Formats: sequence, C-alpha cells, structure tokens
Amino acid sequence: MTTEIELRNIQKWFGSNQVIKDFNLTIAPHEFIVMLGQSGCGKTTTLRAIAGLETIDDGDILIDGEPVQHLKCSDRDIAMVFQSFSLYPHMTVYENIAFPLRATRMGKADIDKAVKEIARILQISDLLDKRPSALSGGDMQRVAIGRALVRQPKAMLMDEPIGALDAKLREQMRAEIKRLHVKQGSTTVYVTHDQVEAMSLADRIVIMHDGKLQQVGRPEEVYLHPANLFVAQFVGSPVMNVADIDIGTADSATEIRLQGSEKGFAFGDAALTGIRRDAPVALGIRPEAVLLSHSKSNDHLSAVTTNIEPLGSHDIVDVKIGGQTLRARTESGFVAGEGQEVWVNLDPEQAHFFDRESGLSLRKAQ
Amino acid sequence: MAAVQTTSERALNKVAIISVLIVTIIFLAPIYWIVSTSFKPRNLATTVPPTIVFEPEISPFVKLTLRRSQLREQPTPEEYAAAPWWERLVFDGGEKIVRSGRGEVQLSGYPSRFVNSLIIAITSTVLAVAMGTFTAYGFSRFKMPGEQDWLFFILSTRMLPPVVVAIPMFLMYRAVGLNDTHVGLIILYTAFNLSFSVWLMKGFIDEIPKEYEEAALVDGYTRMEAFFKVVLPEAATGIAATAVFCFITAWNEYAFALIMTRRDAQTAPPFIPSQVGSGLPDWTVIASGTFLFLLPVAIFTFLLRNHLLRGMSFGAIRK
Repeated sequence: MTTEIELRNIQKWFGSNQVIKDFNLTIAPHEFIVMLGQSGCGKTTTLRAIAGLETIDDGDILIDGEPVQHLKCSDRDIAMVFQSFSLYPHMTVYENIAFPLRATRMGKADIDKAVKEIARILQISDLLDKRPSALSGGDMQRVAIGRALVRQPKAMLMDEPIGALDAKLREQMRAEIKRLHVKQGSTTVYVTHDQVEAMSLADRIVIMHDGKLQQVGRPEEVYLHPANLFVAQFVGSPVMNVADIDIGTADSATEIRLQGSEKGFAFGDAALTGIRRDAPVALGIRPEAVLLSHSKSNDHLSAVTTNIEPLGSHDIVDVKIGGQTLRARTESGFVAGEGQEVWVNLDPEQAHFFDRESGLSLRKAQ
Repeated sequence: MAAVQTTSERALNKVAIISVLIVTIIFLAPIYWIVSTSFKPRNLATTVPPTIVFEPEISPFVKLTLRRSQLREQPTPEEYAAAPWWERLVFDGGEKIVRSGRGEVQLSGYPSRFVNSLIIAITSTVLAVAMGTFTAYGFSRFKMPGEQDWLFFILSTRMLPPVVVAIPMFLMYRAVGLNDTHVGLIILYTAFNLSFSVWLMKGFIDEIPKEYEEAALVDGYTRMEAFFKVVLPEAATGIAATAVFCFITAWNEYAFALIMTRRDAQTAPPFIPSQVGSGLPDWTVIASGTFLFLLPVAIFTFLLRNHLLRGMSFGAIRK
C-alpha cells in the first residue's frame, strides 16, 4: 500500500459558491495527512472529492499518477470512515466488515479469514455476531475502521471519525488510530476541526479556510511558523495573542509598541530581521511567550490582570496593557487574582509578525 | 413524573380504559355480526331480536362455493343417504347442488371472483410499491429541475374523486379492449396507488441517511447494488406499510370493479352484493362471502405488523 495521491488545481462550486479554490496537494505514500479547518471550509468536500462522492468542476485528482476524477467511487479502491460511522443496521458486525469484500467477489473462506484477522487487530472479535445498534460508540468506530481496512484499500479517508465520541473515548481512539496507522502504513487523509487531533495524529497538517489551502506542514512547523494570521489563531490552545503594533525606536533600540500603549517592549534587531516595516503590522505571540513577573524591571511593562483561568497544570492570565488584552500562560497560582499589577515582557524569539491587511506572515519562510 | 399514582389518576385511568373498550366494541360489532351470521343456519340469520347463541354450522360456506338450485321435490331417502355430509347440509336448506352430466359438482361464481381479487390486488400492489419505491428514491436522492412541481403533479392525480373519471375510463377501456380483463383493473389500481406510494416511500427513504449508500459506494458497489443491498433492507418498514395500504385500496375497490368488469375479471366486492339478487336473499351466504373476503387483509396486516409498528433499528448512525 504505497499509494500517492495528488490534487492539482481542484475547483469546486456549489451553485455560485466556490467551496474549493485552486487546491494543490501531494500526499506521499504512507503519509498521514490531517485536513484541519472550521466547518464549511471545504475540507470535507475535498475529502469526498478524493473518494468520488463529490464531483469536481476543474482540476485533476491523481492516485498513483493516474487521473481518477472521472472514475466512480467504486473503481477508485479507496476506503472511507464516516463521522456517523454508517454501519449498516440490518447486518451484523461480521457482515458489515465482510460487505466490501463481497463486492470483490472474493471466496467465502478468504473473506472469513480476512474479517477475523481484522477483528483480531481491532480487538472486536467477540462483537462479530452483534448488530451495530448494540455497540458502544467506540466499538462502532472500531467496526467502521475495520470495514475500511479489511479490503486493504489504496488509501484511507476519514471524515471526523471520532468527532461523535465523548472526550475521554476520543483521546483513547486517537491513540488507537495512530497505532493502527503505524502498523498498517496506509496512506491516510483525515479531516477534523479539532487542532489537538490534528497535532497529535498528523505527519503533515493541511489547514484550510474558506475553500483555500492556508498552510501545509509538519505539526511543529505549523505551530512555530504559521504562514498567516488565520493559521496562527487556529492552531494552538489557548489562541495566539494578536495585537496591532507600531515598530519604533526608543533610546536607539528597536521597540514594539502595542497600539494604545505609551511604552513599548525592547526587541533586539535580530528578532526583527527580514520583517518589512512599510506595512501595518500585527504582532502574534503565544501565551507561553508572554512572560509575567512580580518584580519591576526596566524591560518589563506594567499591566493589570483582568481574568484568571486556573487549569490545574497551569493558569491562563489575561493582562491589560494600554487598551489591549494579552493572555499569558503562567505556572498555577502565579497570580493570586484579578486587578493585580504585574510586570510583562515578551519573548522576541517567539514573536510573529503579520501584515495586517493580507494577514500573511512578514517573516520569510525559514 | 409521579411514580405513585394518586386516586384521581387511577380513576382517570379506568375511565380511559372503559372508553377505549366501548369504542373497540362499537368498531368490532359489525365484524362480529358478519362472522356470526356466516355460521348461522339460514332461519336464524334474520330473527328479531337477533339470535346470539346458536349452534354454528358451515352450510353457508358450502352454499357459497358450490353451484346450487332450489329443490323442486324432496330428495328420496336413498338420495339423501348416498349424499356426502356437505350435500345433506344443502338439502336441509331446501336446495340441491347442481351437478354436471358426469356427476361432478361445480363451483359457484364466488371462488373465481375471490381468485380474481387476489390476482388483481397482489399484482397491482407489487407494481405500485415497486414503481413507487424507485420513483421515490430518485426524488429523494437526486436533484432535478422542477422537482417540487413533479411531486405535486404526482399527488394531484389523487385530488379528483376517482369515480369522476369512471365514464371516460370505461369508454377508453372499451375502445382498447381492456374491459373485463385482469390487466385492465391491474393498470387502473396501480395508477390509483402509485401517487400515494411515491409520496409515502419518499418520506421513508428521506429518513434513511445518505451515508449508508455512500459507504456502500466507497466499499466498491455500484449505485444500483447499493440501492438493493442497503437502501431496500432499510426501507423494509416503509415498503411494508405502503404495501398494506395499497393492498387494502386495491382489494376493497368497488366502483370501478363494478363498472369495468362483468364476469372474467370481476372481483369479489361487486360480486358479493350481486348475490342478493331477486327473491329472498340468503344472508348467511352473503355474510360468509364477506367473512372470507375480510381474511386476506387481516392476515396480510397481521404478518407485517412488526414493520408497521416502525420498531426498526435506526440506531447505527450517530448524530
């Protein structure tokens, strides 16, 4: 199962609404790709287009170099796991898993062997005689994955396969999907709106917004070097702080001033190399790069805490500087309550700069 | 929710049960009347006040199914002794069974009318449900221009009382030679039921999640295979319900059957009252014919009762 999938210039309209805009992506063999985006961003439509459940208006879908956009889904040899699982209620678990094999006119004994083998891998052997309605959510999901894997398809597509499960089960199934992928190594495209799922599962994350591809990259790449404001704010929890700033100089050192604030943060020139200064700039900074201190020092600015979210392992503290609020991540209990004065500094190493109009990152790709 | 019923609630419950019982009795009384009359001796059928307790006999059914005529003279004791038990029942009623030259008994008009009813109702039900299911699937799953208009048009064929078109239909049927044929009535009843079947099945198929078929499509099946292997089993409930309704309509239809058929393709509904004929009607024979006529619908509905209760497992799609 060394299948490469390539999407070239995909365009798709629903009426006058363009839902996929000039989409290009090459998915390497064995790769686990996660398409991440809000609902309605076109990620599921893209997935369904790969499966053949949705036609495309323009472009090419290539599987192993062969264009398949004109093939019916039954001829593409791709398996899909649906968010709703879509187990056939009138069939037992065994029949559900055997169903795709029956389409291939495989012998009875071979089908039996394949079904039992996949049931063993997924640890659902004792459920084979049951009806889907008698299963728990997690087991339904295992059966759905089993039904997809049993045929050893060229590629696996998963449309929010664990979105319908509760939080604890979701975590467990996430680990299981990862384990299965490592074991089976099938080329996988996985759609989700949950960035934690995306970060933990993906070899590469594809972030979509409004039908357009925003960024493709390894999880840490997307996290550390977001290509634009949308990616910056979509990936990471809590959300990255974004503030309108002016870049100026004070005492012959470069300074970042939050708009509405009198004073600025001294940034070394090193942190600003390659940043174009001719455009209106927005600063993006993750909460862990907003550093709080109880003691006054020259390079820190005074701020007042407005809100504390204790999360156990750490706290999220909102501080107000000038008119703008920044969220900081501190060790738990670092700030006692709202309305306290703290001293704030930013880590220039982890600062991102974006063109306020286009939203694009001003730092050239590294 | 109150776990313990209060006194007033219990009283209310009793009132409800008693009202339901009364309504049930009112509805079942005519059926009881038909069933009891069909087992009565002829002289007890029309007594005033009605006879409730009597010794049931099956002579009405014998008379219903065999050709018979009035006895001109009493059978001789030898004839009576030689006759089988069912023939004696007819003798007792002052009638005799008509035999052919070779001494074979002949069937009355009823059995062939009953078979006609079965052939016509079953065939038209199968056709209406099958065509309705396909049409409904098309409307449910594919976008087409003027979809709502088409659906309205299909429904509009039911907006006219069917009898309004009886005369033109009769003339058309006479012109093409479909009068008094099975095919003629089958076409007619299929057409009656089709719009109903399309609308009912569309409701059921709309409720079957699209994902089932999509799963089957990516699992390597064509749309046709997905329809037969996934949609049809899921739609079984709807098909059963639609079939029951179509069958009842076709089985009970009276007006067109009366106008369009005379002998060969006549169904039971116009035949049963025609037995009243001239002279003194034998109500026991008419009641027994009606009783037998009630059975198929009752059996059919009973067989499909589980589907009608819609208890199917719509549980494997998580929403």
